[in-house]
Amino acid sequence: MKILVCLKQVPHKDARLELAPDGKWIADANIKFEINDYDNYALEEALRIKDKDPATEVVVVSIGPDRVQQSLRTALGMGADRAIQIWDDGLAGADSLAIAKSLAAVARAEKVDLVLMGLMSDDTNFALTGPMLAALLGVPHATGIVSEKNEGGQLEVERELEGGALEVVKLPLPCLLTAQTGMNEVRYASLKGIMQAKKKPLDKKSLGDLGLSAGAVASKVKIEKIYTPPKGKGAEILSGSKDEVAQKFVGKVKELGLL
Amino acid sequence: MAKTLIVGEIQKGALRESTLELVTLARKLGGDVVSLLIGSGVGGVAEDLAKKGGGRVLLADDASLANYNLDGWQRAIRKAIDAEKPELILISSTPIGWDVAGALAAALDCGIASEVIKIEPDGADLVFVRRMFNAKFDARLRVSGTPRIATVQPGANEAYAGSESGSVVKLDGVGGDARTKFVEIRVAPAGGHDLTKAEIIVSGGRGLQKPENFEAVLKPLVEALGAQMGASRPVVDAGWLPHEYQVGSSGQIVSPKLYVAVGISGAIQHLVGMKNSNFIIAINKDADAPIFEVADVGIVGDLFEIVPALAAAVKTAKG
Repeated sequence: MKILVCLKQVPHKDARLELAPDGKWIADANIKFEINDYDNYALEEALRIKDKDPATEVVVVSIGPDRVQQSLRTALGMGADRAIQIWDDGLAGADSLAIAKSLAAVARAEKVDLVLMGLMSDDTNFALTGPMLAALLGVPHATGIVSEKNEGGQLEVERELEGGALEVVKLPLPCLLTAQTGMNEVRYASLKGIMQAKKKPLDKKSLGDLGLSAGAVASKVKIEKIYTPPKGKGAEILSGSKDEVAQKFVGKVKELGLL
Repeated sequence: MAKTLIVGEIQKGALRESTLELVTLARKLGGDVVSLLIGSGVGGVAEDLAKKGGGRVLLADDASLANYNLDGWQRAIRKAIDAEKPELILISSTPIGWDVAGALAAALDCGIASEVIKIEPDGADLVFVRRMFNAKFDARLRVSGTPRIATVQPGANEAYAGSESGSVVKLDGVGGDARTKFVEIRVAPAGGHDLTKAEIIVSGGRGLQKPENFEAVLKPLVEALGAQMGASRPVVDAGWLPHEYQVGSSGQIVSPKLYVAVGISGAIQHLVGMKNSNFIIAINKDADAPIFEVADVGIVGDLFEIVPALAAAVKTAKG
């Protein structure tokens, strides 16, 4: 089995995000990045399949400037076999469909049996790339899964619905699955893994290498502006020393008749 | 706006509230409103949607559509689009919407704005407004080409309350095979930790930094207040607390007299689960955290200093 795991690099959870001067994106020159959390679960699931069947090949791919190589090396350190970085000036500001078209070119060239990726990314929260990629490849998909198991060549997966309910569906390979957070326990790269990762292949490809032109991945969706949401009435902020704040807190709880 | 197609959803045999929210949005934009309803033996629900503002309701009714399946829905939506040639297609951002909308956009090679909260006309064009970076920022999107698809966050718009005249038209040829086969719906066994009846809930988030701090830092405040402990999704995902502690759209929906959010930034899916609480107090080091938008009272600062002080003050007050 050959598995393609699509990883997105996103701003670190603890990074302080500020708007870029042009108001179209965040100022990202001096912040830390990490692998999108949802994608970590997808990668872990692929590595678990490989743990059970060592003949499995796990290829990780990420679209982005050279900083994404660090995330790809992390994935190799965790146990992925090969990495592919896609970057091209034509992909700056690309929309989800342009990203999906680029990933589709990789998935076709690699002839993969299974594509795994996160349900959404923690930066844009679009939740579109997975189903788009599946449609472009002409394979079925299931989104937001919390488990998968192979039942005689068919995958049985649990999709998370609302309020704790799960929908169980079966789908044939090849297919694409998007992972919900919490679906497994994500491993850390071992020291040995990190050493081995340095020798594993990491190929960089341009749109041309994928047989695509900038026109073929022109974006239909553009971010005109991002901004801090208008504040509503907001909360009444308690100020003072921690003991003064604590007394005010007690006062509020008493007003509610709960003390 | 010349024509909008609403893709409706059925939940527990009735029209899902989010579908009526799409009706509000479509009617505000003006122009023709047509709807699509997909299911098996759901003619009555289609009649209901027609009366509640869905306009001409196309009904894709077939035994093979009794449960959601990707291929069946794609087929039905494509038929509705071919028949109606809408300029805008509205789908709710639900587990079904997530599954179907992106694939539809790729198949049609058209633009899509997902997880939208508002659509604003701007001359002849539309601006799609949505959250980004887990609600830290808002974004205005432009989408080119025809048709355009928007998926809309449930709860972001009022459900349409008017009564209108409409009609139901049956779509032919909507049945068929699906590659993804429905097996069953599993409901996770209810844990022993029912938060829905709690008077006071103190919930902890990622700001508590490690699992031991739920016991060492949060629990004294929980006990002082006689509260129940809750948690945000990242805490449960990390395995720090079991799922039965999770408050949010995929956990428990709560409305206690007092909800205290400690070290929780306020991702949308958490807010959905607790915003109807009678009174909300939030403690967070980031003054811009979205949780302060739904909180009545906020404390900005280091929870590791503040929470022990709160626990001590509550204990003293109780005597």
